[in-house]
Amino acid sequence: MRTLTITGILLLLASASSIEAADDNRDLFESRIRPLLIKHCLACHGPKKQESGLRLDSRAGWARGGERGTSIVPGKVRDSLLLKAVSHSDPSLKMPPAGKLSTNEIADLTKWVQLGAFDPRTLATGPPSPKRMSLEQAQDFWSLQPIASPAIPKVSDPDWRRGPIDAFVRERLQKRGLNPVGVADRRTLIRRATFDLTGLPPTPTEIAAFLKDDSPRAFGTVVKRLLASPAYGERWGRHWLDVARYADTAGDGADYPVREAYKYRDWVIGAFNHDMPFDQFVREQIAGDILARRTATDDPDRYASQVAATGFLAIGKRYGYKASPDYQYLDFADVIDSVGRSLLGLSLGCARCHDHKYDPVSAADYYALYGILQSTRWAFPGGEEQKRPAHFPPMVPPQQVAVLEKARAAELARLDTRLSSLKRRRVKLDSDWLAGGVDLGFESQKSGTRPGTPWVCAGPIEITNEAQSPFHHVHPQGSLGVRIGSGKPTDGLRYVFKDGLKAIPGQLMHFTVDFRSVAGSSEKGAFRFYLGRGVVQSLAVECSATATRFAIRNGRKWETIRRIIPGTWYTLRLTIDPAKKTYSGVVGTRDDLVTFQDKSVGRGWDGVANCFICDATGHVNGPACSRDLDNIGLQDEPFAAPGSQTVMLKTKVPGAAKQKIAIAKEIESLTGQRQARAAQSAYEVAYGVSEATPVNARIQLRGDPHRLGKETPRRFLEVLGGDQLPANATGSGRLELAGWITRRTNPLTARVFVNRVWRWHFGQGLVSTPSDFGARGERPSHPRLLDWLADRFIASGWSVKSLHRWIMDSHTYQLASDDDDHNLRIDPENRWYWRYARRPLDAESIRDAMLVLGGHLDRSVPQAHPFPPVHTWGFTIHHPFHAIYDSNHRSVYLMVQRNRRHPYLALFDAADPNQSVASRQPTTTPTQALYLMNSPFVHAQAEGLAKRLLSSHRDNETRVRVAFELAHGRLPASPQLKDAIAFVAGYQQKLSKSHVAPERNPAAWSALMRVLLTSNAFLYVD
Amino acid sequence: MNLVSTTRREFLHRASGGFGSVALSGLWSDLQAAPRNPLGARHGHHEAKADRVIFLYSTGGVSHIDTFNHRPQLAADHGKSVTASRWLNKSGEFRRYLIKPRWAFQQYGESGTWVSDLFPQLGSVIDDICVFNAMHCESDGHDKATLAAHTGSAQFARPSAGSWVSYGLGTENRNLPSFMVLAPAAPYAGAQTWGSDFLPGCHQGTQVVPGKNPLPNIRPRVARPELQKMELDLLARLNRAHRKTRAADQSLDARIRSFETAFGMQREAPEAFDLSGETEATLKLYGLERGATSGFGWQCLVARRLAERGVRFLELIDVGSNSNWDSHGNMADHARLAGAIDRPIAGLLTDLKQRGMLDRTLVVWTTEFGRTPFNTNANHAGREHHNFCFSSWMAGGGIRGGLVHGTSDEHGILADRDTVHTHDLNATMLHLLGIDHERLTYRHAGRDFRLTDVHGEVIHDVIA
Repeated sequence: MRTLTITGILLLLASASSIEAADDNRDLFESRIRPLLIKHCLACHGPKKQESGLRLDSRAGWARGGERGTSIVPGKVRDSLLLKAVSHSDPSLKMPPAGKLSTNEIADLTKWVQLGAFDPRTLATGPPSPKRMSLEQAQDFWSLQPIASPAIPKVSDPDWRRGPIDAFVRERLQKRGLNPVGVADRRTLIRRATFDLTGLPPTPTEIAAFLKDDSPRAFGTVVKRLLASPAYGERWGRHWLDVARYADTAGDGADYPVREAYKYRDWVIGAFNHDMPFDQFVREQIAGDILARRTATDDPDRYASQVAATGFLAIGKRYGYKASPDYQYLDFADVIDSVGRSLLGLSLGCARCHDHKYDPVSAADYYALYGILQSTRWAFPGGEEQKRPAHFPPMVPPQQVAVLEKARAAELARLDTRLSSLKRRRVKLDSDWLAGGVDLGFESQKSGTRPGTPWVCAGPIEITNEAQSPFHHVHPQGSLGVRIGSGKPTDGLRYVFKDGLKAIPGQLMHFTVDFRSVAGSSEKGAFRFYLGRGVVQSLAVECSATATRFAIRNGRKWETIRRIIPGTWYTLRLTIDPAKKTYSGVVGTRDDLVTFQDKSVGRGWDGVANCFICDATGHVNGPACSRDLDNIGLQDEPFAAPGSQTVMLKTKVPGAAKQKIAIAKEIESLTGQRQARAAQSAYEVAYGVSEATPVNARIQLRGDPHRLGKETPRRFLEVLGGDQLPANATGSGRLELAGWITRRTNPLTARVFVNRVWRWHFGQGLVSTPSDFGARGERPSHPRLLDWLADRFIASGWSVKSLHRWIMDSHTYQLASDDDDHNLRIDPENRWYWRYARRPLDAESIRDAMLVLGGHLDRSVPQAHPFPPVHTWGFTIHHPFHAIYDSNHRSVYLMVQRNRRHPYLALFDAADPNQSVASRQPTTTPTQALYLMNSPFVHAQAEGLAKRLLSSHRDNETRVRVAFELAHGRLPASPQLKDAIAFVAGYQQKLSKSHVAPERNPAAWSALMRVLLTSNAFLYVD
Repeated sequence: MNLVSTTRREFLHRASGGFGSVALSGLWSDLQAAPRNPLGARHGHHEAKADRVIFLYSTGGVSHIDTFNHRPQLAADHGKSVTASRWLNKSGEFRRYLIKPRWAFQQYGESGTWVSDLFPQLGSVIDDICVFNAMHCESDGHDKATLAAHTGSAQFARPSAGSWVSYGLGTENRNLPSFMVLAPAAPYAGAQTWGSDFLPGCHQGTQVVPGKNPLPNIRPRVARPELQKMELDLLARLNRAHRKTRAADQSLDARIRSFETAFGMQREAPEAFDLSGETEATLKLYGLERGATSGFGWQCLVARRLAERGVRFLELIDVGSNSNWDSHGNMADHARLAGAIDRPIAGLLTDLKQRGMLDRTLVVWTTEFGRTPFNTNANHAGREHHNFCFSSWMAGGGIRGGLVHGTSDEHGILADRDTVHTHDLNATMLHLLGIDHERLTYRHAGRDFRLTDVHGEVIHDVIA
């Protein structure tokens, strides 16, 4: 036998140490060790790289060692990590990674260490100089400074006196020698604002109202109206969902659907629509479940919504196959990175494997947060190994959970009781139905054969008259039983009861079987009786017998109950009390009965008994003896006592057939009711988190969960205060974390968010890396403006709608998007906002605008996605979940699949839900053009729009005007008007070859609408 | 070198993800931040040996000891036991039994490279192929290993190798995407395997599903071409008028051109997919029946046609995530699967060579991992996942043919000499394309990312 692992290698080392000896230490080093180190080690542990902080290019280097400590202890083979590493004896430390050294090389190294590890290399090898920002340096870093309330510059230009935003922007423009363009015209403005705030085009009526309104607050009125529209939350909620990496599937290999994900999505949309203060918005996403328990137990809606808010944490890409801590480090990597980037603008993910290379974030910071997540219970969406969701937090308070669960259990029990009494009535009508099933006494089977359906057998088994039991208090006297030969342990007999029993309060279960070990048996092993749910899925009772001893299982222990004699028949009768989780029984012959009382049923038995098995995996190992069985029964009424009168075959009841049909119908309907009720949760649940047992995490060296360093107390990032949990804290720390992130003194949260809002309004942030406010991110173009916004935002009570109003009310926002050669030369990227940057419509806006113009948009909030029912889920990485659900609702409601992206959303650059997305990166590709030209969707919307126009307006000129205004927000210039009318006429003419007259007009108008809906005036917003 | 990291210039992403390279106006040409077409063809860091890649990916994990890694000792020790330190994703000590290869091996070509009877046709072109017999990777799970083989990361979403190549080198044909994936079904981990992730979206792979309609929306819905032409002409007139007052905005140009390209693609793409002009001899080379629109032979022949048309990176997925090489139950499946790709791949190499394209086309074949040389008993018909040693190969495009690089122990359990990690394979692929894998970077989330993360060594020994 060849050994690949530890033992073999240790042996190898022991023998190697005596292989050869070099007389001289220097010789050994120079001839063997130095070349070996250069060849195998120094690429990663030398001047260029210092993996794990270790250098092996000098004595000082290995003496100091790396993360795991000293790597060589001269003279001590056992204490030298280096030797352990090259021996590959520790699976977590195998060096070199490319392949094991040769036996001779290992022997050389061992020898060298034994002889004192002579090493003449004295090269200065200090630890790698940290490029990382120190905590002191961090105090001077711009984004970590307290938010200032900056003085507002004086501006002389009267157009730019609308407020501080303009003052800050104008000052910079002046400084750079840029001359801002003029303001946009009203049609441009209302189209810009409407798409910006709602993702939809303005209607001609809305345009007309704005054009007519000559009050100085006219634009303010438009903004107010838009902010009040539910479409606002659908648009701005989607922005946040990009950052929150929202998807409707889990993202593991099998991409399990998450039925409850939409509750978080709807919560986000609602929060924007209700102008929830942003600090509260953040707190609920991190600790909504805890807040709910503290403050909202008497407000069911609020309670539910706060629990749903924690979807923010849970909604990321999952890696696990089952709900197991083994996979959580990857899930947590996503959560920590997403929380860092989305709320703090820090790439905390980098600190998973080592201290952040640039930012003042250490691995200890990372694992301090990790501990908070580890103290949290995570909804598990389902995965390859565990295909059912688990741990979804209830959206009702705990007291209510108990009440609702009780109510549901009571209702199920009521249905079960009715079902059971119906079944009993049916049994009484059935003449050949005895003791829990048809022909359990084997009488209708053929002698000399193996028992057929409904029995399942494996191994030597036969129906025979030799196995007829002498007892007849349960089944009528018959002539056949079954003999199970001595086979393999797994050989045996199985019967699944058609009407199995389910625990019903106050009702007992009864089971019986007659058995004997065959005369002359000498095998030592035991056979067993299993009773429970399914094929050993949930054990209720287990009995076991050798040729001479009968035992039962009491919880975990086997207890011998009596001696038995081979060749003698015994009858066993069990009574299970599911409420008490105990069973009692009697076993013996008519005159020699032994009783036992109150034994424990299987731990974790789920209350179902529908399967009997007799195999040979009993309480004593080894081949089991041949045994005979007969007269098996399972029912919810007691069996007669052994020795009581002989049971006779039932006589047929007149009219039984009819009654049986009626009962069957009733059973069917009740069973349906029960299944539906059982599938329903007693209460609504969310895809979120709840509290678990608080623990501190240990640092995972180089991000490897199997290489643990020291424990880190749960706390906030050191650079933001490093607050520890109070000594008496009993929770995970999420509530405290939510507080730390949203406290006024945190310089990042408000800055990061106002910058995002600015970015979504202008297409470019004041900080152009919205999720990176660290050393590698960009510096703000207008630091004082950023602070002014953040400061005022906090002062306003974190009101997002106020923030919109300030921004949109500014002259800066209302600038035209015109070119200007001078400005373009100095500032081609419009970093200083000398104009409003034109932007392409995003995926959702294109689709929603087309739907609304085509007259097909459904503005209601849809129900949950039509995922397949959970009991059918068997997705694996071989057969992952995949679906595309068509809908005419707004695009924010489309089912977003993580692993196989929605083809339309992917084509038009919607956010990739695999990670937090700060800025979408729009592309312009021919495959998009193909979609716009040839997809059924675009054609359907163009046809819808043409139909609307044709039915609402009579003359072609009006139709064209209205069409342009609908699609582009403005009326056509006269050459375009003429061109369009001529196009329709020319198109109709060309159609005369192929289309009948009534079709030509709609077809030609549809063609014109296609052109309008795919032109740049539609696809871009000025 | 002109591989500019462009993240900060969001403007550029907007400027043009399209294929039409936008001529720089006088106004822009002298500006430092002048936009460039992210898909415009350009050179790498050093002289390239290959211009394009055809990346063949067999899903499921192909057994190395039954294909390219000839281990006679494994046959000799059939039934002997070994102790494995990992089994089915668990650590521990597991007594397992060696199982001999199911197929005999023969030496082929002048090089005498051993190839099993699963791949006789590949054997016939073996002198163009360099086999890697000491491949290894970290993951023994399909989705993670598949992601790692494609993106360099088993854990996190990252851009695919094809996206990196497209980002580095652009493309030569504006009428077709730079990175195309011919896949009857997605492999494990789905479309992430060809996703561009944080790279601009124009670098993402365009999936082509073999069949009658390989590219969605490629067929005009308008009754006649002249009608579509009429619509596009009006569209162009409207866009030009719109453009007049917005002269500096390159993205408007890009959009206009994207329609022109798409119009061209309606003709050119189906033409690339139309095999009716191929001779009987060529079809035979690929083992393809006339009229067939699927199968690996179709994928290979279409790949050659797309390569001829300048597509930079072509990935061919063999099978997908179902009924693939994942022969846990019965290794006999390998015969069916090898039979489906042996002739097509050999045909592709032969065809490329005949047309003088093989020199500049790097063909890579790989899989997520190998299969265990042992199992729970010696009579077990299947093999489990094995990431400690497996086989891949490269051909053409600057590769020394007829070479075997890397060896394993005598049973094919551990890669031991000249080991090649998937990072090394990727580094070598980029090197042959003229790209230094350590310098092809993209700034994202505060860090410069690479295809090879912080790893990867170019395997110079295999370069001609």
